[in-house]
Amino acid sequence: MAKIELINVTKRFGKLTALKNVNLEIEDKEFFVLFGPAGAGKTTILNNIAGIQIPDEGVIKINGEIVNQIDPANRNVAMVFENYALYPNRTVYDNIASPLRSPKHKKDENYIKGAVTKAAALMKIDMLLDRLPSQLSNGQRQRVALGRALVRDPNVFLMDEPLAHLDAKLRNLMRGELKEMQHNFATTSIYVTHDFMEAMSLADRIAIIDEGEIIQVGISEEIYYMPKNQFVAQLMGDPEINLLSCDLVENGTGFTCLWAAAPDNPIQLPEDEELFSRIRTLENKKVNVGIRPQNVHYSFEPVEGAIEGTVYSFETIGNKSVLTAQVKDAHVRIIAPNGLVLKLDQPVYITFDISRVIVFDADTHEYIGRYDESEVMKLVNEHRGESFTRAGENHG
Amino acid sequence: MTARKRLTAILQNGGLAIYAVFALFPLLWMFILTFKSDAEMLTTTFVFTPTLVNYQQVFFHSDYLRYIKDSFIVSTGAVLISVLAGVPAAYAFARYNFKKKETIAFQILSFKFAPEILVVLPLYMLYRQMGLYDTYLGLIWVYQLISMPLIIWVVRGYFEDISVEIEHAAQVDGYPWWQIFFKVLLPLIKPGLVSSALLCFIFAWNSFTFPLLLAGIKIEPITVAATKYLAQSTVHYGQMAVAATCSALPSIIFAIAIQKHLVRGLSFGAVKG
Amino acid sequence: MAKLLIKNLYKRYTNTGKKKAPENPYAVNDLTLECKQGEFVALLGPSGCGKTTTLRMIAGLEDITQGDIFIGDVRVNDVPPKDRRIGLAFEDYALYPPLTVRENIAYNLRAKKVNKAEIDRRVNEIAKLMNVESLLDQMPVKLSGGQKQRVNIARAIVRRPELLLMDEPLSHLDGKMRQAMRTEIKRLHNEIECTSVYVTHDQLEAMSLADRIAIMDLGKLQQYGTAIDVYDNPVNEFVAAFIGEPPMNILETTVIKHENEFYFTFQGSSLRILVPRRYYSKVHDGFAVKMGVRPMDLYIGSEESKGTYERVVIFENLGDERRIGVRVGDHLVMLITADEKRYRHGDVIKLDVNEQKTHLFDIETGNRIYSDEPR
Repeated sequence: MAKIELINVTKRFGKLTALKNVNLEIEDKEFFVLFGPAGAGKTTILNNIAGIQIPDEGVIKINGEIVNQIDPANRNVAMVFENYALYPNRTVYDNIASPLRSPKHKKDENYIKGAVTKAAALMKIDMLLDRLPSQLSNGQRQRVALGRALVRDPNVFLMDEPLAHLDAKLRNLMRGELKEMQHNFATTSIYVTHDFMEAMSLADRIAIIDEGEIIQVGISEEIYYMPKNQFVAQLMGDPEINLLSCDLVENGTGFTCLWAAAPDNPIQLPEDEELFSRIRTLENKKVNVGIRPQNVHYSFEPVEGAIEGTVYSFETIGNKSVLTAQVKDAHVRIIAPNGLVLKLDQPVYITFDISRVIVFDADTHEYIGRYDESEVMKLVNEHRGESFTRAGENHG
Repeated sequence: MTARKRLTAILQNGGLAIYAVFALFPLLWMFILTFKSDAEMLTTTFVFTPTLVNYQQVFFHSDYLRYIKDSFIVSTGAVLISVLAGVPAAYAFARYNFKKKETIAFQILSFKFAPEILVVLPLYMLYRQMGLYDTYLGLIWVYQLISMPLIIWVVRGYFEDISVEIEHAAQVDGYPWWQIFFKVLLPLIKPGLVSSALLCFIFAWNSFTFPLLLAGIKIEPITVAATKYLAQSTVHYGQMAVAATCSALPSIIFAIAIQKHLVRGLSFGAVKG
Repeated sequence: MAKLLIKNLYKRYTNTGKKKAPENPYAVNDLTLECKQGEFVALLGPSGCGKTTTLRMIAGLEDITQGDIFIGDVRVNDVPPKDRRIGLAFEDYALYPPLTVRENIAYNLRAKKVNKAEIDRRVNEIAKLMNVESLLDQMPVKLSGGQKQRVNIARAIVRRPELLLMDEPLSHLDGKMRQAMRTEIKRLHNEIECTSVYVTHDQLEAMSLADRIAIMDLGKLQQYGTAIDVYDNPVNEFVAAFIGEPPMNILETTVIKHENEFYFTFQGSSLRILVPRRYYSKVHDGFAVKMGVRPMDLYIGSEESKGTYERVVIFENLGDERRIGVRVGDHLVMLITADEKRYRHGDVIKLDVNEQKTHLFDIETGNRIYSDEPR
């Protein structure tokens, strides 16, 4: 049983305010991801929950009990550090056994042997038990760090970018393994990452954090389809969402969108009363229209109504490629299949799937709306219900 | 190996051999002298009849053993105090940030820069007034000028090298702070601590100015006492050689024991990464 | 702009002193490679495969145990690095801290005693190309990772080298910065067309930047070809599993004959995949072989399709695509789909395979078993 709450938490380091009035509620058994760029404050949050640091203001509760003054040893948390923090002069076996030999959680050696062997087998490092950390590769060290956390039965698992220093292939593999293991966890987990794929894949809910503030909390679909602002939209998505700087002009019953880079190609926005009413409340009708790379279409032959640009770059990113088109000064990223034969600076004609756009206020960068928002909300509510059911089920 | 590389190797080794002879010859000579009787002292070089009469004189017919005891007490005491106070200080410098931290650190280091002869006269006056003149406590205390900066400087570097996350991990694992210190941190700083402690011992043991002027009758470490063998009408070179050799012995033994760790420890705090 | 030829290159590190110690294995084992003028070649492989050692031998920073390296038509085995006309951009920037960016870039030119006006002109030209004009008077300590790397590369190419050598230059940058720098390096190569050798362990980087990729493992060259070559026609299991994100599914399978047709079967699963006709001469009833199929060649089938029902154990929603993992016996098989439906652990889906896109690998050696017709 471990519900974690942060209430109005503020943490300062000298002149720097690392956390500004942070409020979070993490449900029992939830796999909760803290996602944000470097320096956002994610590690600080973990450190405060673990008790390694104490908030300057605000309260941290574990299971409803205020723990601000309680030592890390007494909070019953297990932590996987970004740089593994393995004891350099102890073997892998002793590293994993270490929590079970501490005065707080002391167990007899037989129990320890069983628990360590089980954790090592789960992490596939059972043949490395006699080695020292200096004799292991990064991937192996990371698994030892995870094993050391798993051997406990804590209130909460805190994981700080555990896959950060692994090469791409190993990261993929470990993400898959974590995902499968996650199903067997019956423990609250808080996972910090700046990798978008990890966040989307592993989370029950994601909290987006930037410069010490929580920007948005929700399930992955919610954050992906209805980001609170441009920052969140750009963070969630690989390749990054395209933001087109536009002026909206009302004509008759609807709106035409004039993209700064293509003033000769006005785009008529399809009808949507809800969206239009929100746009009407805007002072100036300047918006940034967000459209994801998979919703942009391209052609190398001229197409009626398409916007003409040139090929800026073409890059493979695995099972697909990114074609970047240049229109005046703007760059538009488009998903394309691998193996396209093209030359840089050759002409390309692009069209947008307008029904998939997300509209942002150009001044505040806040979310204004999107098409079929009610449909998306329905989908989100369905999945949100599922997430919590999964978290609440007793697995493993 | 090419011929050119071989020639360079021979020249390098040859040069080193010559330097070794140059550096070690005085010690060797002194060692030989301990076995020469006074009669043969000035007349022979390497060929002579070895005798143990010098050793007998020094150990059994003089206060030599008392001098060695004084040296041991003062040196060991000094190193002990330096370690007990210096290690926590080093930890504080490594882990915490407080006002004027680097100024204080440099100040402590600067104690070693001060020439002993400069400070010893004012200290003499203070000691006489405070009743610390010619006491073990007085010497141990003043030896801190020599030993504590070194311990703090070296051990701080070792602490800085240990990622603070390891301490956090131990806290989260459930260990109390004193167990973290003894079980996790101490083994990791051991090489630096041992090598700097032994080096401090050597410095304290060899100290001359302080015991000469701040101690006198009751306490005579071997460095000071050795001069007694000089200030006599007839210089008993053989006995002096014995005194000198035996007092150099602890330093030599310790130095050999820690030479591997010495370079690492000393250059540690100096360069990051 | 010179071509590069590496012929039968070997590198073995010697144990200094101990004569009785067993010999080290070769770090680079009989490597032969040629790069055309102006070509961008990637040396790709896991850590320890010998790629960095090879690059360092090309640069002259490591001795060559055996073999030859030719830059242009000149045999450079005994030529010191500074005379090889190469530009180096290594992982750890190594910018001179007390010099400004401008001075850093100009450093080499000054050493070669080029006159001041010419130095200024070239530095400005390169700075424009690498987008660091605004940083020219800054000190390295104020620069971000990406900026440092651009200055690093600018410094390497300002000398107009014959060969540009880069060793994992993007490994210290985070995801978004790495993507941006990749685009820049690609455009740069397009502009200056300098023969380049690029070491990386990230196959995405190699696929995106290189004209040809040399894949190495344990010191040996596995395959050398264009990105499409190594992706569509891997010569062995190692290359097949290394190239492609997410990686190719490789499963151990036994071929059985049923009613005049061959099928792949899998231990612990009822899944059966039809063997394409072109492999018929290579297989027989009871043949044990490894089968590879890429996640994008697996589909969620409809009720009428001929696939089998499999249980979902992993579901990942990655925004623009979804990845589903199903258990087939001991193996975890991944597929990619743009389908928007969300699945849960335990759900059942119809697994459909495009069997024409399967590869066969020898179960002992891992070598590719080629079909009769050209693919």
